[in-house]
Amino acid sequence: MPITYAPAGKTGKWDGAMDWLQMLSGAGLILFMWCHMILVSSVVVSPGVMNAIAEFFEVTFMAQVGGPLVFLLFLTHFVLAARKIPFRAEGQKTLWQHARMLRHGDTWLWVIQAVSAMIILIMGAIHMWVVLTDLPITAVKSAARVQSGFWAVFYLILLPLVELHVGIGFYRIAVKWGFVKDADRAKFKRGENLLTLMFIAIGLITLLRFLFLSVN
Amino acid sequence: MSRLLKFNIFRYNPQDKSSRPRTEEFVLEETDSMTLFIALNRIREEQDASLQFDFCCRAGICGSCGMVINGRPGLACHTKTRDLPGEITLLPLPIFELVGDLSVDTGSWFREMYTRTESWIHTEKAFDPAALEERMDNKDAVAIYELERCVECGCCVAACATARMREDFLGAAGLNRVARFLIDPRDQRTDNDYYEIIGNDMGIFGCMGLLACEDVCPKHLPLQNQLGFLRRKMGITSLKRLFRK
Repeated sequence: MPITYAPAGKTGKWDGAMDWLQMLSGAGLILFMWCHMILVSSVVVSPGVMNAIAEFFEVTFMAQVGGPLVFLLFLTHFVLAARKIPFRAEGQKTLWQHARMLRHGDTWLWVIQAVSAMIILIMGAIHMWVVLTDLPITAVKSAARVQSGFWAVFYLILLPLVELHVGIGFYRIAVKWGFVKDADRAKFKRGENLLTLMFIAIGLITLLRFLFLSVN
Repeated sequence: MSRLLKFNIFRYNPQDKSSRPRTEEFVLEETDSMTLFIALNRIREEQDASLQFDFCCRAGICGSCGMVINGRPGLACHTKTRDLPGEITLLPLPIFELVGDLSVDTGSWFREMYTRTESWIHTEKAFDPAALEERMDNKDAVAIYELERCVECGCCVAACATARMREDFLGAAGLNRVARFLIDPRDQRTDNDYYEIIGNDMGIFGCMGLLACEDVCPKHLPLQNQLGFLRRKMGITSLKRLFRK
């Protein structure tokens, strides 16, 4: 800990603001993902309901404007959160050795968060591009995509990674900012794990529905 | 018949040019209520007098015997062998400078931290040795005492992934130290003054919330709550500073 590193007066003027933005962009994306899952899974109720919801978002231009804005939020969140991820091999090795030595659940959760972030960055961007450049969204078009085979595998990878990242992020924000205190941490974590499992289950059921939906 | 415990102990003497980092195995018969502190002393007395490790109080007060016990930082004197499997691996705490074998220099790190956090009461009031000590609210005194229980063993720092990745990070011990002065009514420093010290990525905003500090602290200090408190406090201060002009 070199003493000359942080002499008084040389504070991180933007470090606080960036921490806020990292948290708020993450919280915004968590809310978006929850809404997204509920709206897409409406296909399980009936393809007509999903089509009606999609039409509402397109007629009001929320998809055309909101979609790119969510993409911007997605990139902003990545850039802000990536400040903490070691990109050099040396840092990655240290982190990996540390996690293996400590065998500590929350430390492993962070490793999962960091690794899933990289995959979500690429796969999420591809997903958004494919959907937003082929509006309107309809149940039949989504079903045809899933039934092509490639996209079924694509979403089988993306779905659990996103839900894990979202779930861990939600837990992390709560304990990091002190919204959940030490006495409630274990209980909150169990609840969060259940919620994540529930969203993965809803996602899988939705994928199955698309897989067996008639596209003719 | 008591267990035969197998110890894998890290050995290296940085002062000795011919010494190479290695693990040495020791076998010891377990006794009633044996702690790692007792076990290490027996190994040193009966098997290898050159084994280096630190201890002082034997009661979890001095914080000298911090080491990595089967992967987790903890105090040797606080750890009973009956709570561990038959094979025990002991490593020195990472981050701190290695003195030799299991002994590390936590003192220099904490001295540095004290200087950086200006770990003393800042006040303009002149000290009057004849006057009665100023009274403080009992609630404040209890809260300060709770944080003062830190024995500076370094376990929280050694367990912190952020501290492992960036050596300038203050760690939970340093941030807890700042929280202690922040709630002390005698300290006249403002939130802005504290922001100068910890309002950056070397301080509270560097913390990633992995909470290994909270989970390994042998004194069970409320580190999670303190880190949350400081993040909110400094977060609000950062906004005030940005929009003040």
